Amino acid sequence: MSAAILETRGLAAGYGKKQIVHDVDLTLDRGEILLVLGHNGAGKTTLMRAIFGLLKPTAGEVTYDGKPIAGRAPGDNVAEGIAFVPQGHGIFRTLSVRDNLELGGFIMADKTRLPERMQTIFKLFPILDERQQQIGGTLSGGQQQMLAIGMALMHEPRVVILDEPSIGLAPNLVDRVMQSIAEINRSFGTSILMVEQNVRYSLPIASRVAVLKAGRKIYDGPPAHLQDDVELMKLF
Amino acid sequence: MDLFAQLFVNGLINGSHYALLGVGFGLIFATTRIVHFAYGPIFTAAAYAAWFAANVLGLPIPVAMVFAAAVAAVLGVITYQYLYLPFERGQSSSHVTLIASLGLFIVLENLIAIIFGTGGRVIDGYQYGIFLVGPIYFSSVQLGQVIAMVVLTALLGVYLARTRHGKAILATTDNPEMARIIGIDTVKVSRLVFAIGSALSAIPATLILLKDGATPSMGFFAVFIAFVAVIVGGVGSLRGAVAGGLALGMVESLGLWKIPTEWQSSIAFIVLFLVVLLRPQGLFGRTVS
Amino acid sequence: MEYILHILVMVCIYGILAVSFNLLIGFAGLFAMAQAAFYAFGAYATAILTLKLGLPFPVDLLLGVLITAFIGALVAIPAIRISGTYLVVVTLALQVIVIAIATNWKDLTGGTDGLRGIPSLNIFGYALDNPGRFLPAAIVALGICFWVAWRLANSPFGRALRAMRENESAAEAVGKNLLYMKVAVFAFSAGLAAVAGSLFARYLNYVGAESFGIDETIYMLAMVILGGTGNLWGSLVGAAVLVILPELLKFVTLPTEIADKSHLIIYGLLLIVILRLRPEGLLAERSTMRHLPHVDDTNRHGAEMTAPLPKDEVTLSGNDLHKRFGGIVAVAGFNIVLKSGSITGLIGPNGAGKTTAFNLLTGFLSLDSGTITFRGRNITGLKPHNIVRAGVARSFQDLRLFTKMTALENVMVALPNQAGDRVFDVFFRPMKIHREEQDNLVRARAVLDFVGLTHKAYETAENLSYAEEKLLVVGRLLATGAEVFLFDEPLSGLDRTTLAEIFPIVRKLADSGKTICIIEHNLDVIKELCDVVYFLDEGHAMAIGTPDQLMNDPALATRYFK
Repeated sequence: MSAAILETRGLAAGYGKKQIVHDVDLTLDRGEILLVLGHNGAGKTTLMRAIFGLLKPTAGEVTYDGKPIAGRAPGDNVAEGIAFVPQGHGIFRTLSVRDNLELGGFIMADKTRLPERMQTIFKLFPILDERQQQIGGTLSGGQQQMLAIGMALMHEPRVVILDEPSIGLAPNLVDRVMQSIAEINRSFGTSILMVEQNVRYSLPIASRVAVLKAGRKIYDGPPAHLQDDVELMKLF
Repeated sequence: MDLFAQLFVNGLINGSHYALLGVGFGLIFATTRIVHFAYGPIFTAAAYAAWFAANVLGLPIPVAMVFAAAVAAVLGVITYQYLYLPFERGQSSSHVTLIASLGLFIVLENLIAIIFGTGGRVIDGYQYGIFLVGPIYFSSVQLGQVIAMVVLTALLGVYLARTRHGKAILATTDNPEMARIIGIDTVKVSRLVFAIGSALSAIPATLILLKDGATPSMGFFAVFIAFVAVIVGGVGSLRGAVAGGLALGMVESLGLWKIPTEWQSSIAFIVLFLVVLLRPQGLFGRTVS
Repeated sequence: MEYILHILVMVCIYGILAVSFNLLIGFAGLFAMAQAAFYAFGAYATAILTLKLGLPFPVDLLLGVLITAFIGALVAIPAIRISGTYLVVVTLALQVIVIAIATNWKDLTGGTDGLRGIPSLNIFGYALDNPGRFLPAAIVALGICFWVAWRLANSPFGRALRAMRENESAAEAVGKNLLYMKVAVFAFSAGLAAVAGSLFARYLNYVGAESFGIDETIYMLAMVILGGTGNLWGSLVGAAVLVILPELLKFVTLPTEIADKSHLIIYGLLLIVILRLRPEGLLAERSTMRHLPHVDDTNRHGAEMTAPLPKDEVTLSGNDLHKRFGGIVAVAGFNIVLKSGSITGLIGPNGAGKTTAFNLLTGFLSLDSGTITFRGRNITGLKPHNIVRAGVARSFQDLRLFTKMTALENVMVALPNQAGDRVFDVFFRPMKIHREEQDNLVRARAVLDFVGLTHKAYETAENLSYAEEKLLVVGRLLATGAEVFLFDEPLSGLDRTTLAEIFPIVRKLADSGKTICIIEHNLDVIKELCDVVYFLDEGHAMAIGTPDQLMNDPALATRYFK
């Protein structure tokens, strides 16, 4: 068994005529947090969507557990243990917190495990327990983000892909969310692939960092090196 | 006062008919965002299917109704699969899908006219019962229209809230991308709502067949009134479509107090104008910021 | 022979209808479904005015056109508030009501019998009472209608229409009056359709409700789509094909009733097939700019771009601004004072109310309370386009370029005070507009030079790179000629090299006395560029100062900069 759980080789993707991501190689090792940094327009979201199957890659490979998965439907990826937390509103705004969580476990074969999974998530985010009946759209921004992450965890994924979980959150909440992500990684052993712009809060929890610029990877290595690299840090 | 009571009951009856049409159309519209004009001719096809089952095959009316619902569901799913889905996959704009839907509308309507002729069709020998409650008069078919609306919307409501498939529909209506992310096959969900929405339209279609007979051009008014009911009531909620349909039926009927019959249908459109101008999210719509 | 001439007359009538419909759908992007109703108004106007009032040609025609144009303009008024699906359903309702009137108001319209015996056109005692005689008149009418539509579509007004189609709020943000544009285009579209209606009545000497149903609107729609939306020649081709095609099929012998139905089936199928295989239609939309001459670099007066204004004067100020959305407070007690010649930065966490503040200052959102003044004038409550015209312009975080238009058109459409934006001038002051277009071309070139996009002038915006798009946003904003520029994250997502290109541009603008306000997250940019910085949080300014002052403020440091 190789160390890598999720890998891309020469991945390219875009919308219509516009190629946004070019020739990206990424390797997510088991149990690590791989942070992908980049500015608006660097192609982070496009890259994540292409990996997860929301967008068909135009070239390259994605392998999960050694198996090629590029271009297959997101549903298949979810079923095999990949979860995705999209940017912004990763919840169903018109449904209750409880319904949202249940839907997070939509593909679970064994429905009897739903309550148990929900308890695990309530332990991680106690506020969701208190607000079980509240409608998703009426939660605060931070609570919505927690709910979104909670939904992704319902079916016990082995890999969670997060697209800018810090966006739209006040700084103290950003820290709180990053700590939760670190905790998920620690206590469940979930491998995490996360894109971010907020270097300050995301860098400390990362095992490894890749930097994306104009759709290409320009750095891949330990976080400490990135901090030393003055030229790269200037990007942010 | 008797006149008022009669008009009120008439309004309730027609309103129920409109509401059920609106529920079917609205379910499809809210979940797929497709303005499904071909809902009209599929409604017509359902009426003819019921006529065929009852008159030609000699099946009892309830069986004919089920047959009609099956025909409508199949037509609805085929329409989605072979007309709308390719456009969706090609990421066409919503206008393109709407125009394609109008194209199909014309094709189906005229196809039905060629197959069955332009004259009306009625079920031979069918006679509906008549009830007199105090000064108020209504027929068994009209009673059926009200019961069908109440029972079917209640069933649909329970189905959406309680079952796995129902929840998948609600999730897709709320946020299609998020639905895909949690592993819902949204194409399957779309097929499902086309099946349910079309099958629902077959019930009012059969009742209209019993009441007035079927004509090839009956579909335009059906899809139009369904569309108006959904906009008036508010897109995306079952309650909205029901409220919109009932409101239209009521206003139309009570308007007759002062306005000659032939203008009846125009009254509804005044309601539409007012709602769109004054409360564009509809009577029961949520304002989503 | 008679038969062929008849078909040609019908091609002319439907040509007018398709061209008129294309103005709405193709150019303005207004999906209205009542074109057959406008057609009906024209036809019934002629029928009623000639039969009941005995009015002679061309009085009936002119009155019919005016009445229909007026009704079209009325439809546009709800169209300002609603769009997309709502416009479809409202116009569909209008279509239904018009048919209801035509069938039910028997005294006026003859009900289901229609009106018969409408007098044929009579030109100098020469009755146009057969297809051969009528055809020249139909061709002349088509020619005039086509010219009117062409003139409109290819004028600055037409350019503004296309901008509105691409993005309504961006069109407002460059000073376009959407209500005026919608009213005008609806009036013209309806008026032209009425001409076709009048011709129809004169030609057949009969009008009846069955000629103007929803099928008829779909028929016209098929012509427009087949020919190509946004291309007027295409509409003529579409009309010709769809009128002639079914006639060719007549040689296949079918019972008449089935034949008519099968024609409709063919239109429907054709509509679907063309959308699948060639959604842009037979003749695709073309840039209206191609015929403009190349500008000689020597006679550019780029200087006017940077005509210096006095500095350090208060230009735009917002006083105690408040805005809530439902239960959420977005902006609460926000005060801001912008001065000419200086660059003000707006920073703060996401959700702090920065973009909402911009929306309030530029009229895109209405204030709950507070006042906004520009150079001493109270501009609170003005519509966005009037605020731009007054001198305060803004850009959008998500760019909102007019993606299907060229870079040059994106800039041209934003230039202020264009006489060509008014339809009256389009038709009655052609020379003035011609001269103005030449001047505007020069000005647009100057703007493109300024932002370094001259070499991309004829590229459509959707084909530009991200950095070029951002530059074009700046260019389009400059073109408005405003004095105050509010930039919403103009620099995010750009790399160092591109930043190094934009910095001097913004600096130069400030040096020339413009007032600049920038929302930005990148603190290096703020440090390098801004004279004053507002730190926004929870909807109001928590701190105001120079970049250094704010970044050294210990309280803010823990909260934001760290």
